[in-house]
Amino acid sequence: MEAPPVTVMPVTGGAINMMEYLLQGSVLDQSMESLLHRLRGLCDNMEPESFADHELVYLLKGQQGNPFMLRARRSLLHPTAPWHLRYLGQPEVGDKSRHALVRNCVDVAASHSLPEFLNEMGFRMDHEFVAKGQMFRKGAMKVVVSKLLRVLATGNTENTEPLSLSYLVELSVLAPAGQDTVSEDMRSFAEQLKPLVHLEKIDPKRLM
Amino acid sequence: MQQREEKQLEASLESLHSRVSHLKASLQSFILKLEHEHDRLSWPSVLDNFALLSGQLNTINKVLKNEKTPSYRSQVIIPLLLSPDRDEELLRLTEQRVPVFSHEIVPDHLRTKPDPEVEEQEKHLSAEAARIGPEVAQKLIQTLNKLCSNLLEKLNNPRDDRDSEASALRQSKPSFNPADTNALVAAVGFGKGLSKCRPPVSVPPGHPGQPMMSTGPTLQQVTIAGTTGHQAGMGGQGTQQQPGQPGKMPSSIKTNIKSASASMHPYNR
Repeated sequence: MEAPPVTVMPVTGGAINMMEYLLQGSVLDQSMESLLHRLRGLCDNMEPESFADHELVYLLKGQQGNPFMLRARRSLLHPTAPWHLRYLGQPEVGDKSRHALVRNCVDVAASHSLPEFLNEMGFRMDHEFVAKGQMFRKGAMKVVVSKLLRVLATGNTENTEPLSLSYLVELSVLAPAGQDTVSEDMRSFAEQLKPLVHLEKIDPKRLM
Repeated sequence: MQQREEKQLEASLESLHSRVSHLKASLQSFILKLEHEHDRLSWPSVLDNFALLSGQLNTINKVLKNEKTPSYRSQVIIPLLLSPDRDEELLRLTEQRVPVFSHEIVPDHLRTKPDPEVEEQEKHLSAEAARIGPEVAQKLIQTLNKLCSNLLEKLNNPRDDRDSEASALRQSKPSFNPADTNALVAAVGFGKGLSKCRPPVSVPPGHPGQPMMSTGPTLQQVTIAGTTGHQAGMGGQGTQQQPGQPGKMPSSIKTNIKSASASMHPYNR
């Protein structure tokens, strides 16, 4: 029996195709406090949510093409909460003038047997990391400030070390395809965070 | 002569009374505003209220300092009649706050001595002032005046000077590192620098990290081979997913590593 063809086409059928609009930047540890104050002022008035997540990235290597990537995420603060499985497509190369990175996004919740299930399906874990930080919201926009930690021993989330001296700042919006006003709103919000953070669209392929 | 003094006293008391009632009214409205509209309040409007209060206190001070006002210290108030009965007139005058002019309220309302703490502080201050002597006091006054004038000058100067200073300061303390941004985005995007279970940065994936990771699934396969090996003696029934006998176990590990890059589908034999 041959392996089923691995495809990188977005999943279709049955649901609205959601796109994730993304802007990324970073802030040094010592300037984190001022960024948090500014975000508290700019974002919706609610207590910022702290999170500590363990993310595992699974790859399915087919015979042809790029490997298919799935991200499985679980909360370290709420161990009984369901796992979160996410597929992110390739960034849309459209308009160079579009201010945010746009890519197809599919999110599902999964039970705690997700890692075994993915292993049985043929996925292999490529890398994992722990992300700890805070999440703010402004309308449909979500700002996540997180510290990425490297896991030193596979599966052991107690033993971690920070990846760098900075926090990763991500501004994202989940919207159906074709709404270009979203990126305008994101850009104006990003303007308000300068010069503390420069949020811009960074193409991950450029950094490979 | 006495009549003139009396008239003066009355007039000054009148103006003091009106100023104090203005102050009271603005305090009242400020308190109401804070209690009922505190979520709609903005700092500039609060600042306006404070400015109003400070202005009114200033005018009271001026009234008291005015040369036409007689010295209140030389006046004495003596209650002539104390009665435990309700006094409607008094109620009207004090806005329903003092109903009875009796022995209880007189010591509180007619006292002239300040609070013990205030008295203590005043004594302390006057002792300090007496201690330092007139020349030192003059010098202190001069430094205070100089500081105030410097500050006023800085505040009144055109904005351009301030902005150029501020931007120079900000440039010397960057709050983000673009190299870090790239490293973090690469880590989140495709795991650069997050090699499986090994601390070193950016080790290519198909390398020493692999044996540890594929030991997981390989172990499962090895145990399956082990059990089928045991069952082989019982007639070789059941699913024999691995044709490998126990003797082939060491080599199957190596084989799996090699084929990891090709196809890792477990149903693939």
